[in-house]
Amino acid sequence: MTEEAKQMIEYILRRIRKPTLAIDENTPLVSSGLVDSMALGEVMLTLEDLTNTRIPPGAVKPKDMDTVAKMFATAQRVGRPRK
Amino acid sequence: MVRYRNLIEALEAAPGDRPFVTAWVNEDGQETVTFAEFRRRARLQAGVLRRQSVNSGDRVIIIMPQGILAMTVFVGAMMLGAVPAFIAYPNDKIEPAKYRFGVAGLTANLNAKVVVIDEEFPDEMLGYVSLGEDTRLIRAGDGGSTGGEEELRNAADQGDGLAFIQHSAGTTGLQKGVALTHASVLRQLEHLAQALKIDTATDRIYSWLPLYHDMGLIACFMLPMAYHVPLVMQSPLDWVMHPETMLQVISEHKCTLAWLPNFAFQFVPRRTRPNRRAQYDLSSVRVLINCSEPVRMSSMQEFQNAFTGTGLKAGALQTSYAMAENVFAVTQSDIDQPTGPSRIWADGKQFRNSHRVVRVEEGSAGSISFTSSGRLLPNHEIRIVSDSGAPLGESQAGEILIKSDCLFGGYYNRTDLTAKAIVDGWYYTGDLGFCAGGELYVVGRKKDIIIVGGENIYPQDIEEIAASHRAVHDGRVIAMGVYNPDLGTEEIIIVAEVESEDVLANTVEVEREIRGQVTAGLGVTIGTVFLKPPKWIVKSTAGKPARSATLEKLQKEHPELNAE
Repeated sequence: MTEEAKQMIEYILRRIRKPTLAIDENTPLVSSGLVDSMALGEVMLTLEDLTNTRIPPGAVKPKDMDTVAKMFATAQRVGRPRK
Repeated sequence: MVRYRNLIEALEAAPGDRPFVTAWVNEDGQETVTFAEFRRRARLQAGVLRRQSVNSGDRVIIIMPQGILAMTVFVGAMMLGAVPAFIAYPNDKIEPAKYRFGVAGLTANLNAKVVVIDEEFPDEMLGYVSLGEDTRLIRAGDGGSTGGEEELRNAADQGDGLAFIQHSAGTTGLQKGVALTHASVLRQLEHLAQALKIDTATDRIYSWLPLYHDMGLIACFMLPMAYHVPLVMQSPLDWVMHPETMLQVISEHKCTLAWLPNFAFQFVPRRTRPNRRAQYDLSSVRVLINCSEPVRMSSMQEFQNAFTGTGLKAGALQTSYAMAENVFAVTQSDIDQPTGPSRIWADGKQFRNSHRVVRVEEGSAGSISFTSSGRLLPNHEIRIVSDSGAPLGESQAGEILIKSDCLFGGYYNRTDLTAKAIVDGWYYTGDLGFCAGGELYVVGRKKDIIIVGGENIYPQDIEEIAASHRAVHDGRVIAMGVYNPDLGTEEIIIVAEVESEDVLANTVEVEREIRGQVTAGLGVTIGTVFLKPPKWIVKSTAGKPARSATLEKLQKEHPELNAE
């Protein structure tokens, strides 16, 4: 697991207020209801920071953010370098 | 405005080359259709529906993602004189069983001729869309490219015919179909346009609001359609994942008007990095309307403070009181008031004890503040009544009753509910409020009020205090009254989600502190504080804590609360 993925997991655990929960890169987050749509906006900002990219609106659906692994794959696929 | 007989006639009168809907996805992906093109596409959809034997008066249910295609299907149905209704699209995480619960009642009650879904509607959900024997399910396309627009007579030409059905807010399973005539909708739009001083030549509306809610459907679809105002729209899902894009769209398209529910006034600034705020230009905004009740001045101030550097005008943030049963707005604050909506401070204890508003100086000890939802629209009347139905005077809080020239005729196929809601022409809103200085202040919901030993307690006051405790997650608190047979009255219980599960290991101290803070702040005693893990509280479709559903869940876990 990359350092960025670890940081993302730590952030999500803080955000969903379940610090003792065990999640890994492949734990379903959106489809399981752990991360709701209101929280996705913040997760997106964190993903942009961790990947130093800008993720264009409309290019991502919640299912693309369902696991930490998918989040980073999505950022790689659609993320644009920050200006 | 020219008086049109129906909404389709209003659409037909729009200049063909004027932009109507811009569907904004991102800076590189947006589609704009003119009024002429929109009409063409809507006629094609009307043709598709007609081939499915849809006729005047038939119901057409639309379960499609937000976009131009869904809008043209809706208008196409109206062109046939049919009665369309939008229903929320299933999201990625919804459980099929829950979705079934949500849509089955709605689709069965409407007994639609056709249910229209999009090409990507998930197959696994299809079995959960309740279809009657005579109901057909079709997937919407572009209507064909043959150019075979059917010659449609304006089948909706009777203004007193039903235009569409919109659903009142609530948990999905409990939504009621509000049947609205063309005449009612057009009268509402006329009042709204007058109150907002709509200028067809210069106004441009921004929206991310879902079309199955009245704010999205009426203010951000029917109003621009009938008044020929361009609309820039994004999907609610795209917006919630990128809330900051609202600022980007308004800046790029120089939008002048938008409606937002209260939470969005906090949601957007908190998800926009401070160092990025200055790049946006909100100087074009004439009015940004907080349209959920009760409105919170603190939320509006947070937005105003965050975006002062963007050219956002002082007084641009305004308020309105609206509901599906009245088509949309009942009141609108004065958009020319440079300080924004009126605000008053009242003695908290007197208000809780006697529902009376006794004005005090701003910020006085024990005071509570209220933000006005504005003045009544033309041809609207309001009454504030007590529990016994007696009319109350100025500054006395009670149930809000409405009579207007755009009030709905009833809930579709639910004469039982209609008879309870409309009595002698007055619609019983279930909302509590008071009038002062000719303006309406909405303070809460009647059914939510807690009565302890004859004293009326507003749950919102308790919730605000409990939510301020560091161990409680912001906004995730519900206060309720539960009848205690030993006491012969209600006792107050609080359900609060903790910030972190760690807290649940030792709840005694947190419970004691919350009790103490509420008692100190309001002078009331709390029966039990239930601390629950994150995400325990049931939310409504609007994302707000759902009081009755949460109580039901609580009673299942704590059967002792069922004692009568």
